[in-house]
Amino acid sequence: MKKTLLPALGALLGLTLALVLTLVAFGMPVADSLGLIWEGSVGSSGGWMRTAVKATPLMLMGLGMAVAWRAGMYNIGGEGQFLAGALGGAAAAKLLSAVPALALKPLVLVSGFVWGGLFALIAGWLLVKRGVNVVISTILLNFVAIQLFEWALTGSLQEAKGRTPQTDRLPDAMMLFRFDRQNDLHSGVLIALVAVVVVYAILFLTPTGFRVRLAGENPQAARANRIPPARYQLIAMALSGGLCGLAASVEFLGITGQLAKGFNQQLGFIAIPVALLGNLHPVGVGLSAVYFGGLFAGSENLARFSNFGTTVMFVIQGTAVWAYVGVRTVLERRQLAGAEVES
Amino acid sequence: MQPLIAIRGLCKRFGPVQALKNVAATFEAGEIHAVLGENGAGKSTLVNLLAGFLMPDAGSLELDGAPLPLGDPVAIRNMGVAMVHQHFMLVPEFTVAENLALARTGRTLERLEPLDRAAGSLAMAERLGWKLDPKARTGDLPVGVQQRIEILKALGDDRRVLILDEPTAVLGPDEVEELFRVLRDLREKGMAILLIAHKLSEVMAVANRATVLRRGEVVASAPIADVDEATLAAWMVGDVPPRAERPSAKSATEFQGLRLSGLRVLGDRGESAITDLGLEVPRGAIVGIGGVDGNGQVELAEAIVGVRSFSGELVWVPHGEPAIAYIPQSRQKDGLALKMSVLDNLAIAGHLRTEMRRGPFLRTRALSHWGGELVGKYAIKVGALDDPVGSLSGGNQQKVVVARELDREPDLVVAVNPTRGLDVRAARFVHEQLAQARDRGAAVLLISTDLDELAAMADETFFLLGGRLRSGDGAEAMVGGAA
Repeated sequence: MKKTLLPALGALLGLTLALVLTLVAFGMPVADSLGLIWEGSVGSSGGWMRTAVKATPLMLMGLGMAVAWRAGMYNIGGEGQFLAGALGGAAAAKLLSAVPALALKPLVLVSGFVWGGLFALIAGWLLVKRGVNVVISTILLNFVAIQLFEWALTGSLQEAKGRTPQTDRLPDAMMLFRFDRQNDLHSGVLIALVAVVVVYAILFLTPTGFRVRLAGENPQAARANRIPPARYQLIAMALSGGLCGLAASVEFLGITGQLAKGFNQQLGFIAIPVALLGNLHPVGVGLSAVYFGGLFAGSENLARFSNFGTTVMFVIQGTAVWAYVGVRTVLERRQLAGAEVES
Repeated sequence: MQPLIAIRGLCKRFGPVQALKNVAATFEAGEIHAVLGENGAGKSTLVNLLAGFLMPDAGSLELDGAPLPLGDPVAIRNMGVAMVHQHFMLVPEFTVAENLALARTGRTLERLEPLDRAAGSLAMAERLGWKLDPKARTGDLPVGVQQRIEILKALGDDRRVLILDEPTAVLGPDEVEELFRVLRDLREKGMAILLIAHKLSEVMAVANRATVLRRGEVVASAPIADVDEATLAAWMVGDVPPRAERPSAKSATEFQGLRLSGLRVLGDRGESAITDLGLEVPRGAIVGIGGVDGNGQVELAEAIVGVRSFSGELVWVPHGEPAIAYIPQSRQKDGLALKMSVLDNLAIAGHLRTEMRRGPFLRTRALSHWGGELVGKYAIKVGALDDPVGSLSGGNQQKVVVARELDREPDLVVAVNPTRGLDVRAARFVHEQLAQARDRGAAVLLISTDLDELAAMADETFFLLGGRLRSGDGAEAMVGGAA
């Protein structure tokens, strides 16, 4: 546990330091601003709810990234898989609108998962069959997804009025359960928490997950033991994209109720530091998603009550991740020095 | 006369392990000085301290009466102390010339012409009779050839001390002889040579003096002329290892086992690695394959275990699929996932067992119980089952592979250099396990560059040369009679 605790502490320290330095640099009153961030994230019940809302998609996508990276598939395509999942969810909602809402909701979620997974499998297939680097293919497929998304919003999925590039708003019955009228907190957060448990179980308690991890750590050793790494890399990729797609349909059913430009909010890229900060471990990713969710919620509150844009949040996040990576590197080096006892 | 290198009171601790305890030694110019010891005895630590790659906790190092800058490998190298590492320090993506040039890059802004800079080393390679294609990609070359590049890197400049960390572990017998010729040459030129070695016969053949380490302490130091192999072995392990008896061949009845005929296998670059090979490995016998590295051994093993495609016939007689145990040549590359735990690495085989599963899940508790038993049964020295396997010593890493593979109760065992880099005791352990597998009725194919090993273990030995099989007994067959 010490191994994961220390870097987390490092990140927290980095966060605090980054917060203070950023506020000073922007000439903000440090104490007041910190108070606003605190209150907006974890200092009030409303803050906690907003934190949970923000953390939900990050948790699902962070888990997705963790699964893929564990398999050695450096998936940078969360953004594209998220958008593919959004299209899948919206398409299901539109095509099956005759189905009663209670049955349609899970279908929309499943459709998002499937579309996201299939979209990620393009990159997986390109690696396995053609040797295309996953980092490159997933980055490029992001652009493909963005264009597809915009094309769909001006085409088949566009609102009936046909004026704005967006889908029709879902009827209220289609939306996920809200815990509180004053707040966005929806039952999607439970889906994310269940996903933490499911991904943990898959990775650490099933033969498939074991092979996924082995394929990531040393594909050659897997091969030498007659375990085909390609199959498990594809499985990991499908699951990864699926979780990103699921995140999209949860956002769709939980928050927006419609697709429009800006739906993705660059969550796909933030999911990577979420996964890294969580040490690619499902439980760690869950905690780190809450942490990032809190950052989002807190700095939104700061922006609401000051003339200070939410961009500062990205500076803070960057520094926090950077601090985490730094601490981790130092710890790993110390571990390696210990391992040199060999012979 | 003042010794070239004087070591006094050297101590080094890694966490709870005292790797070196108050070590004192001297090394003379014009001498090949062997440093002996089992895995974990502190040999590598000693030379890494000497070369500046590690910082001692206490003690001093002197070169020609002047103190060496502790923990500063560059300065020490510039003073004329060069080291050839056990694990290669080569850039696999670079060409041979680029790797050689790496050892002598100048200032940042200087024009880098790898071929020019490597010219001296390449000329030396030629003098040594080593064929090296300067434009070949280093990672594509067999380990034996890669080591030559390492040695050339170290030799190139004006060196006074050359440290070789288990240089013969990866070499075939003729390559070892060549290396020794080179070392003797360098000794004549007045260099001090520190040779870390496992094989006592090699030490007897080339060294002037031997210093033996056991558990981080110097047990003895003596001129080679005054000792014999048994004495050295006794110093190393505390008792004299019995020589393995040559097992008697089983009487041939109806053939059962692995049958290869007309086997053709391609290498990584599409070259023909195995040509028209025919071989029978009967159950209850160990068939040895000797030969110098890079003659198709790895490709043959990979084809048999099913990770490399082939043409020709490869069948299990009478029928069915044999349970295969595969001990690959490189445990770190093909055998283990170093960052994963000891248990996970054992589980690579263990998780396949039906009793380790319940529905879609692994029975993790049963698995770790089984792993614990295996660690005990095979006497693997681990702190905890959850420790990364990369933190174990080389011998214990190999034991993890051996335990995992042989515990499958295989019908067929394919082992490639299974004792490479292991100390006497660990090697004996691996041999015992292979013999036990044979006695249980497994067909064992032992591919090894170590003639002694084949002589001790194999019921029948063939040699691979250029991808073809030759029968015979001894060095002639290994090098095609043109040594």
